[in-house]
Amino acid sequence: MAFYDRMMSIDRRIIFLSVGLAVAIPIIVPLGFPVQVSEETRSFYREMAALKPGDTILLSFDYEGDVMAELNPMAVAVLRHAFSRDIKVVAITTYAGGTGIAERLLTEAAARYGKTYGIDYVFLGYNPDWSGTMLRLGESFKATYPTDQYGKSTYEIPIMQNVETYRDIALVVSISGSALSEYWAIWAGGRYGAKVISGNTAIQAILIYPYYKAGQIPGFLGGLKGAAEYEKLIDEPGMGIRGMDAQSVAHALMLAFIIVGNVGYFFSRRAQARQSK
Amino acid sequence: MKRQGPIILAFTIGMLMLVQFFTPAAFFKQAYNIILDWKQVVLGFTFILGTWSLIRYHYTKISRRRENWQYSYVTLAGLAATVTAALVWKTATGPYPWLFNNVQVPMQSTMFSLLAFFVASASYRAFRARTFHATLLLIAGALVMLGRVPIGAYLSGSVFGVKISLVEISDWVLNVPNAAAKRGIMIGVGLGMTATAIKIVLGIEQTYLGKTD
Amino acid sequence: MEVTHDAGIWVAGILTLAIFSFLYKDNPFYKFAEHLLVGVSAGYYLVQYFFSAAYKKLWVPVVQQGNPILIVGGILGILMFTRLFRKTEWISRYPVAFYIAAWAGYVIPSYIQVRILQQAQATMFNPRGMGLGEIVSASVLMVGVATTLIYFYFSAEHKGPLKTISKVGITFLMIGFGATFGYNVMGRISLLIGRFQFLFTDWLGIVH
Repeated sequence: MAFYDRMMSIDRRIIFLSVGLAVAIPIIVPLGFPVQVSEETRSFYREMAALKPGDTILLSFDYEGDVMAELNPMAVAVLRHAFSRDIKVVAITTYAGGTGIAERLLTEAAARYGKTYGIDYVFLGYNPDWSGTMLRLGESFKATYPTDQYGKSTYEIPIMQNVETYRDIALVVSISGSALSEYWAIWAGGRYGAKVISGNTAIQAILIYPYYKAGQIPGFLGGLKGAAEYEKLIDEPGMGIRGMDAQSVAHALMLAFIIVGNVGYFFSRRAQARQSK
Repeated sequence: MKRQGPIILAFTIGMLMLVQFFTPAAFFKQAYNIILDWKQVVLGFTFILGTWSLIRYHYTKISRRRENWQYSYVTLAGLAATVTAALVWKTATGPYPWLFNNVQVPMQSTMFSLLAFFVASASYRAFRARTFHATLLLIAGALVMLGRVPIGAYLSGSVFGVKISLVEISDWVLNVPNAAAKRGIMIGVGLGMTATAIKIVLGIEQTYLGKTD
Repeated sequence: MEVTHDAGIWVAGILTLAIFSFLYKDNPFYKFAEHLLVGVSAGYYLVQYFFSAAYKKLWVPVVQQGNPILIVGGILGILMFTRLFRKTEWISRYPVAFYIAAWAGYVIPSYIQVRILQQAQATMFNPRGMGLGEIVSASVLMVGVATTLIYFYFSAEHKGPLKTISKVGITFLMIGFGATFGYNVMGRISLLIGRFQFLFTDWLGIVH
């Protein structure tokens, strides 16, 4: 087999093993690559930093277990940023599988900052039909969620006394693994004028740029890197920053494989061209 | 009434929801709120129906001894265990959240993390700079892959005295040509979806009703 | 190394490895884990759907808060179950038509406003007060949006000037797809990082 054919036919188990090691080793032995903050993340941070103590945000956990590795660090950072500045949080989820995740993160963050359920934060839970929910919230939070996740009437929960519609919410923060951030911008932002910022998986973040450039989503976090950047800005290092070394090494490895494959392809084509002459 | 009835209903509801956008009249606002509330209940029941379909599929697989029928017992046992846990021990504590945190979520995350390996193998094998456009795609991908991770900060230098930073180039690619392409696609999709929605309301688009009788 | 004593994390770790075993080849451990995931997830979702739809959005408003009109939503929801029987399948068209049409009704003005008009507005720019770099970038963005849209115009044959403009549009699309690929890779690797962090931190205690 010619060298260029060997370059184009590396066994996939070698590729799998290499990717596994490229991710595992930097987690065990951190390399300490510094994190540079992008303008999108700075904009997200600015929107959160502009909130005053006592303001209320609507935090929507628009994801479930499949993408929590990318989005949990963002959600944790947002909660830490909010609770550390006495910003109240009304939390919901648009995924049935997001309820358990949201409950755990809210409880942990509340315990860390001594926040009280019902006064400083509330978890309204899951509603089927996310588009209907986003629109209905614009008319009445209490009609959209007659009870919270634990069956208590929202009319009896202290934090909900002053929250009727989006007008009483300073910011809508969507942490999303799908197109739901866009729909928050369309329904909550477009229909009711709510300000929406988002944290997205990398796959979704690439689609947010048109909304960001148009000012419809004035700031967003893109992927685990976005989470790492935000953790740096709020000075709360977490899983985001810790994952960046592995992210760098894995990306470099993947590019190396692609380059090897293309170099082999280039030489293969040249050899074929010579043979046909 | 098997087909005409739903089409007339679709027209009525669709027009109501469209008109309410433009008028503050109390009747339309009331109708809008009620329709949104009904919608959420309908979808919830639809999801419950989906679960019934899953049970029926696995029951049929077991009774007809199809390939890997034994594993259907695992699925049905998992479903029964979770629902029983919620009914007996409730959902706040006990086996229900335990199953969620230690069985469902770890496996869901791991399933999706497998894609990292497959995307590496697939891109190595298939990503070839065969044409100008494929090369452009490859270069853009490489710029973003390196520019959006911390390692990209080390990849900068000077060309003819002009300082070039991979991070800045990557940012520009994302905020300008990428945003342009995505916006063009978004406007196109927006036009298409709007046209489809108008066709649904007017009864021209009927595929959602299923096969003709 | 401090391996955890939490039984739940042990179960999670073993199931994680069972799923990873698929990388070698399909095997009984993977199949067992996969089917268990489907079953437990279905059970979890069923409980959540029932609680949110039947209890929160139906029982509480109708019975506890005295809003009887919402019972119509419940009736429409129950009509969905007529799909299960061939003779009554046609009845389920009513709730489906209701749901789809309600969605279509509010999509029309919202999409036109947010996805079309506001995006088109954001594409145009006033060069007054902008630096040279900003003007170049804004111009490139405008050309990119226009040529991409023209590429997707298939009502006329792409020849002559239309062909040239479409080719420019394809160029922008290829750059966009390349960026998408880069972010795709980033996303997938991040998910793997999350699992390894769980294995090394929560389960095996190798990393703190």
